[in-house]
Amino acid sequence: MYKKKLTTTALALTVASSMFLTACGGSSTEEKASTEKKPAAKTDEPVTLTFWDENAGPARTPVWEEVIKRFEAKYPNITVEYVGIPNASAKSKYDAAIAAEDTPDVGSMQTTWLPEFSIRGALKPLDSYYKKSEVSKKLNEGAINVNKEITQDKKLYGIPYAQNLDALWIRSDWFEQAGVKEPKTWDDFFTDIEKLRDPAQNRYGFTIRGGAGASFTIQRAMFAYSGLDYFDKNGKTNINDPKHVEFVEKYFSYYDKWTPKSDITNGYKEMTAAFDTGVVAMVHHNPGSYGEHSKALPAGTYKMIPLPTTDKGQYVAEGGNAVNLGMFKSTKHPDEAWKFIEFVNSADAQSYWNEQTGQIPTNKDVLDDDWVQNAQHIKVAFEVYNNPKTKIYMPPFYLPDYRSILDTIVDPGVQSVMSGKMTAKEFLDQWAKAIEDSKAKYDKTFSKK
Amino acid sequence: MLFNNKKVDKLLTMYLPITFMLCFTIFPLYWTVNTAFKPEGDIIKRPLQYLPAHPTIDNFVNAWTNIGFATFFKNSAIVGVTAVIVVLVCSTLSGYALARYQFKGKRAFMLMLLCTQFIPRAMMIIPLFIIFKNLGLISSPLSLIITYSAVEIPFTTILMSGFIANVPKELEEAAMIDGCNKLQSLRHVVFPLLLPGIVATGVFTFIYTWNEFLIALMLTNKQDKFTLPVGLSSMMGEFNVNYGALAAGSVIALIPAILLFAYAQKHLVNGMGGAVKG
Amino acid sequence: MDLSSGVTETSIESKKTVKKKKINKGNLTPYLFILPSLILIIGFLFYPIGTVFYYSLQNYDIAAPFYNGFAGLDNFKTIFTEDKMFLPSLLNSLKWVVSEVGLQLVFGMIVALLLNQTFKLRGLVRAIAFIPWAISGVLASSMWSLIFNEHMGVLNDLLLKLGLVNEPQAFLAGTTTAFTAVILAEMWRGIPFFAITLLASLQSIPTELYEASKVDGASRWKTFIYVILPQLKNTIVLTTLLRVVWEFNNVDLLFNLTGGGPAHSTTTLTMYIADLAVHGSNFGYGSALTVVSFGILLIFAMIYLKLSRYEKE
Repeated sequence: MYKKKLTTTALALTVASSMFLTACGGSSTEEKASTEKKPAAKTDEPVTLTFWDENAGPARTPVWEEVIKRFEAKYPNITVEYVGIPNASAKSKYDAAIAAEDTPDVGSMQTTWLPEFSIRGALKPLDSYYKKSEVSKKLNEGAINVNKEITQDKKLYGIPYAQNLDALWIRSDWFEQAGVKEPKTWDDFFTDIEKLRDPAQNRYGFTIRGGAGASFTIQRAMFAYSGLDYFDKNGKTNINDPKHVEFVEKYFSYYDKWTPKSDITNGYKEMTAAFDTGVVAMVHHNPGSYGEHSKALPAGTYKMIPLPTTDKGQYVAEGGNAVNLGMFKSTKHPDEAWKFIEFVNSADAQSYWNEQTGQIPTNKDVLDDDWVQNAQHIKVAFEVYNNPKTKIYMPPFYLPDYRSILDTIVDPGVQSVMSGKMTAKEFLDQWAKAIEDSKAKYDKTFSKK
Repeated sequence: MLFNNKKVDKLLTMYLPITFMLCFTIFPLYWTVNTAFKPEGDIIKRPLQYLPAHPTIDNFVNAWTNIGFATFFKNSAIVGVTAVIVVLVCSTLSGYALARYQFKGKRAFMLMLLCTQFIPRAMMIIPLFIIFKNLGLISSPLSLIITYSAVEIPFTTILMSGFIANVPKELEEAAMIDGCNKLQSLRHVVFPLLLPGIVATGVFTFIYTWNEFLIALMLTNKQDKFTLPVGLSSMMGEFNVNYGALAAGSVIALIPAILLFAYAQKHLVNGMGGAVKG
Repeated sequence: MDLSSGVTETSIESKKTVKKKKINKGNLTPYLFILPSLILIIGFLFYPIGTVFYYSLQNYDIAAPFYNGFAGLDNFKTIFTEDKMFLPSLLNSLKWVVSEVGLQLVFGMIVALLLNQTFKLRGLVRAIAFIPWAISGVLASSMWSLIFNEHMGVLNDLLLKLGLVNEPQAFLAGTTTAFTAVILAEMWRGIPFFAITLLASLQSIPTELYEASKVDGASRWKTFIYVILPQLKNTIVLTTLLRVVWEFNNVDLLFNLTGGGPAHSTTTLTMYIADLAVHGSNFGYGSALTVVSFGILLIFAMIYLKLSRYEKE
C-alpha cells in the first residue's frame, strides 16, 4: 500500500515537472506529446480520483454516474469516485474540507466560489492545462474570461461546463387566451402582470421571490432593467442608482396587490410550485426548472422567454452564472484529474450532461445538436448569450463577504420592502453601503501588498 | 371521578383526547404517505387528491435505486446500532455513579455534561473534521459512532441517573446482603427495574443517529458511506424538488423507527411489571 | 481529580445513607463508572468547544484569510454596541423556547397520562403517538411546507372546504402567523419527547403509591398534583432544562419553513449565528455570538437548577 503510494507520487512528480517544462518551453511538438499520446502510450498504474458534485439528487446523480462510466471506459486505468453533496450544504462541506485540508481531486463548484477557494490556496491554476487542451478552442470565451477576471491573481481556476441564464417562464396558453402579448420590455412586463390577474380563477400574473435566493433575483432583474455596470467609473457602486430605485419601488409595489401574499417567504420550491400548480402566469427563474414544469404542465402550455430588455432594447445577463470543474491543490494525480475535467467539457459529455439537466452547454460544438435545436428554453438562452449586443455585468464575486451581504442584508431587505417596513431607496442605500465598505476594505488590503 | 357516569367519564377523559391526539399526530403522516404514492406531477396539482388518483410505486423505486438508498440504509443501521450500544454502556455506568454516589467533582461533572449541549453543532463541524482527519477516520462509520455517542452521552447519562435514582436503594442493598457482588446485583436486581429507562435511552439514541444530517454529511467523504438523512436531503435541491421521492424515501426510513417504537412501548410497560414480580 | 479528599466526601455521605458498607468499598468506583463517558466527552467535544472560545477572540473569516488575526474583545464589543440583530434575535429565541418548551411539556404530560391508562389497542396507539419523534428534519420541513403552502397546501384546502376561510391563507408570510405555524410544526415533533420520558418515569412510580391514593379516595387532580407530580419532578426539571437548550439551538424547521423571515421576524439567535458562520463563513464573529449564547444558557441553567431545587425533595 505504502509502496504504491510512493510510486504514484513519484509518477505524479515526474509528470508534473514535465508539465512545468512544457509550459515554459511551449513547443508545439511537446504539447502534442503531452495531450495526445499519453492516454494511449501510458498503461499506467490504476489511479482513483475523487469527484464532488455540488448539486446531487435523483435527477443529477445518475447523469454524473453515466458521464463517469463513459470516462472510465475511455481511460480504463482511472477510476472516479463520485460523492454527491446536497445542494444546500455544498458550500459548508467544501469550507470544512478546505479548512481541514482534506479536499477531493476534482470538484464541481459555482463561479462565485472560485475567488474564495483560490485565495484560500485550495485550487490549482488550470491555465497551462487549458491552453494546451483541445477544449480551449471550443469553450465559450466569455465564461472563461469571467472566471479569470474574478480571481485575485487573474488565473483560471475553474472550467465552466454549464451555464445558466435568468429568464421568464410563462404560461403561453394563458397569454393566448387573454390576448396578451409576451413582455418585451419591463413596461410590458408590469402591464402583463395586471392583465393576467384573474381573481375568479385565483390566477396571478407573476410571483415574486421573497424568500431564500431573493437577492439574486432582484439583483438580476434590476440590472436587466437599467443595463448598468455594477460599479461606475469612479468605483462607486450603481446599486442605488435612481434607475434601480425606481425599478425596485415599482417591482415590490406589486406584491400582495398583484402577486400572491405568500411571495414574501417564497423560495425556489414554493415559487416553482405556484407556477406548476397553475396559480401564476410568469415566474422569474432559469432553464434549470424545465424538468419541474415538464412534470406538472402539458407540453405547449408554457415556455421560456428572455428577461425583458432595457429601454434601449438590450438583453442583460449577469456574468459568472455558471458551474465549473476545479482541481484541488491536494490532488496527487493532477494529470488524471485534468483528463477528467477535459472529458466532461468535451462536446459529447457536455451535450449529454446539459441535455439531461436542462442547462446551457459552454462547448460550441454542442450548439448544432438536435436536442439543443429542439429544446426551446436552451435555444432561447443560447441566443441571448450569443447576441453581440447582450450586456454582461460583473458583480464583485471577489469580495469575501459578497455572498453574505446578499444573504444577510439583501434577502431580509427585500422582505422589509415587501412588508412596507423600508423604502426601496433605504434598502438600496443599505445594500450599496455594504458593498462599498467591503470593497474599500478589500482594496486597502490588496493595495498594501 | 369527574363524572358520575363511568362511560361518559371514560369518553371525556380518555377516548376523546386520545382520538384528538391521534388525529393531530397522524394527519401529517397520512399526507406524507399519500404524497409518496402519487406521480410527481399530481403532487402539486389542484384540486388536491386526498387519495392518489393514479397510485404508483415509482417514487419508492426511484428512491431505493437511483440514489443508493439500500447502501445508506445499511450504513445508518450500522452506525445507529453501534452507537446505541456504546451510549447504553457508558450512560448506565455514569448514570449509576451520579445516582448512587457522592463524590468529589460530581457537580462539576454534571455541569460539564450540561455545557456540552450549549454549543450549536454547526459550530463544531470543522474542529471535529480535523480531529477525525488526524485519526484517519474520515468516511469511517467509527467517526460517526464516536461523535454521536459523545453528543448523546450527556443527555442519556442524566436520563439514566434519573431512572436509577428511582429504583429503590433497598432492593439493591438487599441483593448485596444476599451475596451478590456489585455487578451481579446490577444485573439481577437493578437491570430489570431499569428496563424502561434503558429502552427509552436506547430509543432516543437510535432516533438521533438515524436522523442526524449535518455531522454525517461533513465527516463522510465517500458516497457509499453516506447515511440516510444525507441521501434524503439531496431530494431538495435548486432545480430539483422531488416531493414524491423524498416522501417515499422518508417512509422507508421511518419503518425501522416505527418497528422500534412498537417494540419499545411494550417494554416501557412490561419492564416495571416484570421487575416487581421477578 | 483529587481522590484523597473523597474520604471526607464519603463521611458526609455516610451521614445521609444508612449503610456504610457500600460506601467504604472504595471511592474509586464512581470515577471508574464515569470514565468511559468522560473520555468520549473530553476527547471529542472539548476540543471543538474550545475552538469556539478561541475563535471568539479572533478575526476569523474562512472566506477571507487575508483579514484574519487576533481581535481581542472586538467581536464582543461589536455584539453589544453595534449589532442591530443581536437583541431582536435573542428575543425571538426567548419567544421560541418558552412557547415550544411550555406547549410540549403540557401536551407531552397529557399524552403520557393518557397512554399510561389501560385501554384497547394501547400498544398501537403508543407506537403511533411516538412516531413524530422519529421524523427527520428534512422530512418534517418538506411535509409542513406542503401542508402550509398557500396554493397547494392541504391545510388551506381543508379550511376552504370547511368554510372557515374565504380565500387561501399565506400562513408563512405574516409575522405572527409564520411564527405560530412553525411553533405548531415543531410542537408536533417535540411532544413525543416529553411523552416518552414522562411515560417511562410514570412507569417507575411504585404502584403502591397509586393504590394508597385510591384508598384515600383522592380526586384525580389531587392525585396528579400531590402524588404523581412530585415523583416526576426530577424528570421534568431535567427534561425541560435540556429541551430549553435544544430548542434554543434548534433551527431546522424555522430555517426551512420561513428562512428567518419575513424580514428577520423569525430569526433566532442560533439562526443568526448559523447564517453568519456557516453560510457567511465568518467564524470569528459567529464564535463570539456563540460564546455569548453559551453564557446565557449557563446562567439560565444555574438559576433554573437552584430555583427548582433539583434532587432535593
